[in-house]
Amino acid sequence: MKTLKLTLVLLTLPFWGQSQDDAIKNGKALFGDLSARHIGPALMSGRINDMTLHPTNSLIVYAGTAGGGVWKSSDGGVVFQPIFDDYCQSIGAVALDPNDPDNTIYVGTGETWTRNSVSVGDGLYKSTDGGANWKKIGFENSDRIANIVINPNNSNEIYVGVLGALWGDSSERGVYKSTDGGESWEQILYIDQRTGCADMAMDPNDPNVLYASMWAFRRTGWSFESGGDTSALYKSTDGGKSWNKIHNGFPSGDLGRLGIAIAPSNPKVLYTVIEAEEPSKKGLYRSDDAGNSWQQLNNDFGITVRPFYFSRIVVDPRNEDVVVKGGLSGSISRDGGKTFKALGNMHSDIHDIAFHIKDSNIMYVGTDGGVYRSMNGGVTMEIVENLPISQFYHISLDNAKPYNVYGGLQDNGSWYGPSSSPGGIEAKDWESIGQGDGFRVLKHTTKPIIYSEMQGADNIWRIDTENRLIKTIQPLPADEAVKLRFNWNTPIAMSSTHPDRFYVGSQFLHRSEDMGDSWDIISPDLTTNDPMKQNQEDSGGLSMDNSGAENHTTIFTIAESPIDDQVIWVGTDDGNVQVTRNGGKTWTNTVANIPDLPANTWTYHIEASVFDAGTAYAVFDGHTQNDMSTYVYKTTDYGASWKSIVTDDIVGFARNIQEDFVNPDLLFLGTEFGLYITMDGGQQWLKFTNNMPAVAVHFIDLQPQTNDLVMGTHGRGVIIVDDISPLRELSSEMMSKNVHLFDIKPTVIDEKSDFGGNFGAETQFVGANPNQSVQIKYYLSKRHTFGKMGIDILNAEGQKVGEVGPGKKKGINIVSWDYRLKPPIVAKGKTITFGGFTSPKAAPGTYKMVMTKGKDTYEQPFELKLDDTLPITPADYEERDRVSKLLFDMSESLAYMVYQLDEMIGHNTNQKPSKYSKRLNTLKESLVITTGDNYVGTAEPQLREKIANLFSKVATSYDRPSANDMENFDRLSKQMKEAESTFESLKKKFKNMDQLALKDKVSFLETAN
Amino acid sequence: MNYFSRLITLLVLAISMSNYAQTADEIIATYHENIGGIDKLKAVNGIKLSLKINQGGMELPIEVIELKDGRQMTKITFQGQEIMQGVYDGTTLWSTNFMTMQAEKSDAETFDNFKLGLNDFMDDFIDYKDKGYTAEMLGIETIDGTEAFKIKLTKEPMTVEGQLVDDVSFYYFDTDNYVPIAVQTEVKEGPGKGMMSEATMSDYQEVDGIYFPFSMSQGVKDQGSQPVTVVSIELNPTVSDDMFVFPDSMESDGGN
Repeated sequence: MKTLKLTLVLLTLPFWGQSQDDAIKNGKALFGDLSARHIGPALMSGRINDMTLHPTNSLIVYAGTAGGGVWKSSDGGVVFQPIFDDYCQSIGAVALDPNDPDNTIYVGTGETWTRNSVSVGDGLYKSTDGGANWKKIGFENSDRIANIVINPNNSNEIYVGVLGALWGDSSERGVYKSTDGGESWEQILYIDQRTGCADMAMDPNDPNVLYASMWAFRRTGWSFESGGDTSALYKSTDGGKSWNKIHNGFPSGDLGRLGIAIAPSNPKVLYTVIEAEEPSKKGLYRSDDAGNSWQQLNNDFGITVRPFYFSRIVVDPRNEDVVVKGGLSGSISRDGGKTFKALGNMHSDIHDIAFHIKDSNIMYVGTDGGVYRSMNGGVTMEIVENLPISQFYHISLDNAKPYNVYGGLQDNGSWYGPSSSPGGIEAKDWESIGQGDGFRVLKHTTKPIIYSEMQGADNIWRIDTENRLIKTIQPLPADEAVKLRFNWNTPIAMSSTHPDRFYVGSQFLHRSEDMGDSWDIISPDLTTNDPMKQNQEDSGGLSMDNSGAENHTTIFTIAESPIDDQVIWVGTDDGNVQVTRNGGKTWTNTVANIPDLPANTWTYHIEASVFDAGTAYAVFDGHTQNDMSTYVYKTTDYGASWKSIVTDDIVGFARNIQEDFVNPDLLFLGTEFGLYITMDGGQQWLKFTNNMPAVAVHFIDLQPQTNDLVMGTHGRGVIIVDDISPLRELSSEMMSKNVHLFDIKPTVIDEKSDFGGNFGAETQFVGANPNQSVQIKYYLSKRHTFGKMGIDILNAEGQKVGEVGPGKKKGINIVSWDYRLKPPIVAKGKTITFGGFTSPKAAPGTYKMVMTKGKDTYEQPFELKLDDTLPITPADYEERDRVSKLLFDMSESLAYMVYQLDEMIGHNTNQKPSKYSKRLNTLKESLVITTGDNYVGTAEPQLREKIANLFSKVATSYDRPSANDMENFDRLSKQMKEAESTFESLKKKFKNMDQLALKDKVSFLETAN
Repeated sequence: MNYFSRLITLLVLAISMSNYAQTADEIIATYHENIGGIDKLKAVNGIKLSLKINQGGMELPIEVIELKDGRQMTKITFQGQEIMQGVYDGTTLWSTNFMTMQAEKSDAETFDNFKLGLNDFMDDFIDYKDKGYTAEMLGIETIDGTEAFKIKLTKEPMTVEGQLVDDVSFYYFDTDNYVPIAVQTEVKEGPGKGMMSEATMSDYQEVDGIYFPFSMSQGVKDQGSQPVTVVSIELNPTVSDDMFVFPDSMESDGGN
């Protein structure tokens, strides 16, 4: 048996993998300096699942986010840092060991507020060093973890409440206990395959007393059901050995989701919020006798709204009568739960609240739009501005310079923002172009028009960005008998050959040739039209929840072939893959030709190849059928046959694939747990982890001018891998060389203003800009650890003009030369002359990079170019550089003069003050500053400062020197000549010049700093 | 046997045994052996490094002197001005204020933390157990594209904003040759608090029988770094006491 298994493994190994086993086993050994760049945005932030505070250090705050990992603040919630990037980013619960809260942290993955768009979890993690290193300690198939509770008297005793699978049956749910610090687990409360633990609490005075709420729930792609006869609130008084229902005073009939909270100041006081059959019996219940009896106190909207999303109750740790409830706005009661008022203005959808450990006026609140702080008991709320955890459903790009990224967010509208901005990409750089849940946004290819879609085509806005005009263009039913069915995430698409053409998918494909002003239906119903999946008005279970998010049997993806506009692909949420080859006249459903794909698996994306009209890729997402497998297929014959390109390298169900424009074997795949790349058409996939969190990648696009790979992630905003072109060249032959140099792209000299402001950047997220320098890229087959390695930059004449610290990584290295030349040597004075720090830019032209590594030398030429989009001519540049050079030389001549003068003065100090020595000092004082300091004690500028300042003014300008600059230049030249002549006459009178052993000018300049 | 042939022997050894069997102790011992031997390291009484960094075209020369008795200094020179940083004369830790070019004492907390490092001359790992440090082998990870042993070093607790905290670093030793190629430490204060700082080391070359990295880079993990080039290293340099002495401006002003 073992032998057979081994043989099978060997047979399936790709050939390339065998020959280059060492090099490509691991993406970390290949991708090197290709690194992800995060641009946010953070201004609207994203959904928070759980807030956790350190029990003794009031400055430490943790936010467990729905799709963006775990973030830690060490300053009371002003600034947060991510501490869980390498692992599943969907977080259910974060808990600190009360006995070792600085070091021991538990993270339960899988968010627990079970909306339709939730991500999935993959288990429980533990860190024993404050989050620097993590280990998974079980619950691989738990899907979502609601609570982690640690005995405050015994760190080894841990209880975990597992909500479990949302989309199907699972027995890995209920309450678990470990008595060995998480090494092993025992399931101590289990009901059935659809009932999980939704909330849990421990009596702080008696760790054997536990409460657990169990919830029967289930989602499908077309429905949601909350509640059943298995939902209940349980209590154990023996550390989980036995459990009893505590329903005395509860409403009769089925129950739904229940929240449970203990008042820490009086553990007899409990609160629960109940989802019940009868609306009048829903709401907040209180027990004053540790659960023996319950009394209903309140059934306001704020308390009963959407139990699956908001069943969180938090009691003020110092006052049993102050209770906060999650909700659409969040509610606070100060009379023990009898009456409530809304929390202060903030983003809606409040999921968790944490009271400061010492001062109840200070609260931290987790919402669908990030973390808020309150200093006054929830009256006014301020948002944390540096949590870039925005949840994109989709992104698209334009061809502007710099290009913009467009996309829609869960509950946070639609936006576009630049891929680069002076000083970094700040909150103010993002433009809002939609409301509600934002989904797909597309920029017209030639006109200043943006299409933006919201929530099941409730609105498809056509925005004229030039005139700020908006109209809605969604297709409406023209036929009385036909109801259009739009997905919550309705597909819209454009044509690469007809700029005004626009597509929308309902169950039909709608096409407009005039930007949505008029519509034609160009297909029959392309879905299964299964009536069983069309009863959304019945969705919700005990609480009706027909938001539109469950609309099903709809078109989900549309792709017109860039090669042939008569070829259009359509994928549906119920698993069809349809293609027309005649612009919609006839359609063929090709799904039957796809091997090993379970029926009705959601067709999430179809990518029509840029190389061939018959070639396409299809990505299927089965997770709403509780199937977490990866499904990616390729056809080269219009769907007559499909072949899987999935390997075991990939983890997580996939949502999107992007084909490279140049190398057909280079593909990028976005899964629930990150980015995967293949360079051989799918025989082997490598995970990309360089600054790339294990976040759900919902959409990928490739910018054709920059070759930037841009990802819309559902939890970490927009993430870009700049210029993926080196990956096109990677081959086993190339990787067998010690060193491979990639071409250095021509670099445009950046003359644009970098006044960015950065006001507020102390506490705001600022997205990183792309590298504008000359980028030298090479591949090393082995890390350079021993011996010398260096990179010099030579100009066309072969003179060395710069030096760059080389990268030493195994894999792809990218090092930058910022085309700055060295600044002039300036005369030594009492203080610094800031103008003397000016490093002039290198002139446009041809340069050469020379890399020495041990005994070997490698060379690569490159171009530095003028920005021809700016009003700058080569003649302007030449004149600027000519005058800069004159001032540079003048500065260095002065430096040499002052050096000699200092030596002469130094020699003379041993002698009696004389008229001569006074003349030496007078000259010196006219050449450089000899008093004052570098700040407001600065002295009157002298010749050194004047030369340096003009040098700086001329050299840093994009333009030729002005007439006034030249007048100033003439004046300084004259002063310099006068100084030289005074100096020469003093030098002639100096006795014992030979005793000084002065350096000559060349060696002085070589050694001076 | 020269260093490189020793390396080759090691490589063969490494193949024949499981990497995970390596303990932190063995890795550290092999590292010391590979860079010249613990005796040679302990025999050094002082070190002078000439470094350079490049800032936007401007090359800044930096001179660092560290002595076994704890005295040390860093001197940066530009425009003929010498800026002293982290100078310790055995009593006072001081730096030059850039605005006034006057010497100023470090704050008390910085100084207290600085003193904890006085027993780490040449290398944190020399006699690390005697110093009360712990080294824990965490496993093999890929860094800079290559496999490395990840070792967690915990030194004396330090004080950050008035609180005692563990001083933890994560060292990455190349599995081929056992020299450290990267060190990560959590940034403990300032705006980057909570981020992971990362230094990498390469271009190891021999100076008087001991291997030193002649190239380093320093930065925050995943956020770019500043290369530092070592131009030369001198062991047991000649120094004069006045290079380190704190020039007390209050005292001298008062005296005049």
